Amino acid sequence: MEEKLLEKLTVLGEGAKYDVSCSSSGAARMNIGRLGNAACAGICHTWTADGRCLSLLKVLLSNDCAYDCKYCVNRRSADGPRRTFEPRELAELTMGFYRRNYIEGLFLSSAVLRSPDNTAERMIECLWLLREAHGFAGYIHAKIIPGVSAELLTQLGLLSDRLSVNVELPSSESLGLLAPQKKPKGIFSPMRQILQAQREQQTLKAAGNRGRLRPAGSSAGVGDGCYDDLRELAGRAGTPEAIDQLMRAGFARGGTSAVQGSAHSGRGLQTAPRGRYRERFAPAGQTTQMIIGASPESDLEIVKLSEALYRRFALKRVYFSAYIPLAAAPELPPLLTPPPLKREHRLYQADFLLRFYGFTADEILTPEQPDLDVDLDPKVCWALRHLELFPIEVNRASEEELLRIPGVGTVSALRILRQRRIASVGYDDLKKMGVVLKRARFFLSCRGKYYGGKEREPVAIREKLLLDERTLRDSLGSGVPPQISLWDTLNGPAVLGTRKEPAVWSAGNELSVRQEL
Amino acid sequence: MNYLYDKSFEGFLTCVWHDYYSERAEGICAADGDYQLDLLRYGQTVETDAEKAARVLEAIERKISVWDAERLYRVQRTNEPEKEMKMLRYIRLGFRIGGRLRLLHGDPVVLAVQKAEQRLGAEAHRFCGILRFSSLGNNLLYASIEPDNDILEFIAPHFADRFRWDPFLIHDLRRGKALFAYNKEWKIAPLPADTKFAFSAEEDSFRTLWKRYFDAMAIKERTNPACQRRFLPARYWKHLPEMQNA
Repeated sequence: MEEKLLEKLTVLGEGAKYDVSCSSSGAARMNIGRLGNAACAGICHTWTADGRCLSLLKVLLSNDCAYDCKYCVNRRSADGPRRTFEPRELAELTMGFYRRNYIEGLFLSSAVLRSPDNTAERMIECLWLLREAHGFAGYIHAKIIPGVSAELLTQLGLLSDRLSVNVELPSSESLGLLAPQKKPKGIFSPMRQILQAQREQQTLKAAGNRGRLRPAGSSAGVGDGCYDDLRELAGRAGTPEAIDQLMRAGFARGGTSAVQGSAHSGRGLQTAPRGRYRERFAPAGQTTQMIIGASPESDLEIVKLSEALYRRFALKRVYFSAYIPLAAAPELPPLLTPPPLKREHRLYQADFLLRFYGFTADEILTPEQPDLDVDLDPKVCWALRHLELFPIEVNRASEEELLRIPGVGTVSALRILRQRRIASVGYDDLKKMGVVLKRARFFLSCRGKYYGGKEREPVAIREKLLLDERTLRDSLGSGVPPQISLWDTLNGPAVLGTRKEPAVWSAGNELSVRQEL
Repeated sequence: MNYLYDKSFEGFLTCVWHDYYSERAEGICAADGDYQLDLLRYGQTVETDAEKAARVLEAIERKISVWDAERLYRVQRTNEPEKEMKMLRYIRLGFRIGGRLRLLHGDPVVLAVQKAEQRLGAEAHRFCGILRFSSLGNNLLYASIEPDNDILEFIAPHFADRFRWDPFLIHDLRRGKALFAYNKEWKIAPLPADTKFAFSAEEDSFRTLWKRYFDAMAIKERTNPACQRRFLPARYWKHLPEMQNA
């Protein structure tokens, strides 16, 4: 039994690890159940050997997939062990881990087990056990499988803090090519439904009506009455005896029992608004993720797509995942292609510009230059294209203008504004406020003085910035730093050594050194 | 004049009183720990006086702000070198310029205190994640930690709420004290660092499960130990089951 669980957990964890999102943020809740709460900022619990944080217990309910997406580890045609968690088993494991403070909650994803609806039903059963039978009030993130029916989605939303539907690939053509069973409509209609449910909830609350949301229609949910004894115990969990009793009763529950029995008995969805968790539909919103580097889209298309997703579906995050070749297929990059980690990094920087710095996709990239510069961050690139706007005087600029200066972030901009209310900001103060002066000095002036040196040409500034970037390169995990030669500075991308990246520097770049020469 | 005090916040406030009313302080030090005899200045032990401390606290709250009084309390819990003098300079500056004090992000006096406070807050937040409980049987949870700063009381509300119905104790081995909590009530009491506890039988299997899961979650194509250590410094590994070689 023990050995079996160990193997299941390893296999199903391995299957889920390529999902990027691990944040436990966005929901704040006191302990209203028996165990657990949620912190708005999210809490990371540990960091794996690849430097990614581990916050939620990220597992698949099953890796026995009916689909055959070409890029995926769990595709039907792949070899490897197939495992499926019993909902009860996973709920108990989650409680055990949570109680030891190993994790911040559960990230439940799954392969498509027969059909999207069948998978969703099993996920609901597991989450329902956690919330109701175990009184779990911690964080839950549930993955929505494209094509799931609206009623089940409502149930999942009421049990979870955050939902996510993966768009998987940055264009519908690539999706058709690499994941033929997933349809754009199947992806966007759940997103729209989640958005509408949240809007509806806000409207209801705004009108002073804090009544419970009843899901529209009925579904094959978890039946009524089958866990009444546990619920009653959870209600009076104050005394240690009650705790013992509750734990014993909860853990002693046998196998599939009444839950599955009633799941198909056709009874309506009467249980929905019972717990207080269910009054809110996915309070931490929804996110999505897409794979970078498996298909030929340019960065411009990717950034534009994220912008559209933020605007139309009010997503909390769009995650990018650098493609790691796990399967050989003619449509995919060859095996042993290194994952485009640097491109992923730059895309995240662009994503932050969209979300926190008031940039639009068209400002970050242009059709003439559709890919991000891997050598310099997108904000610096934008500033170099618009040197006419700089230097910006930090003692006069508005918050929006301050945020446009490379090296000034949201925190340092706020500090500048605060200090300005009582004293002018000097150049030495900026460093103490957290401004990265090695970038910022070319783009700002302080009490009327410019600190970026005599040459104010884009090329010269670029050269100086690149010198700093080179020292940073090792820390981004690209291995051995390439040999620096005189010609690198003239040819740009050659600096990157073996990495094959789009020719960002040469193509139509007005800053080209060759033209200058 | 060097003032020696008993490491309590009240003791520190009493030193501030003496700095103001008797003789200007050139150094404030814990009486037991790292004080070294100074050839140029006298050292004087300060008796903690609740009345004097209350007067100073009230003055800080009135002339600077309540927020700054709380900030000073937090800084007093850090392991910042020479934190007492940094706090004293902060108070002196605050008495001159008042509640605007905290807006002066560029001032070295304010910066020193702000940084120390940030480090404490960051560590407290970090320990909300990297603290590991073990079951002692009888539903009692036990965790041992060795934080740099004295963070017990800052993580207490978080855990007291989260594990409301699970009685637990968090043992700070470095300072020989522990946090006891049940049903949202908590207290901190001395507990010698060499106190040993026996774990319940199921503990080993949970640790094995967790360790195997943790190892499986790393993507080997992206291995980056430097990045891992940046987020999770090696000094914290001792009490993390997933970082032990099984």
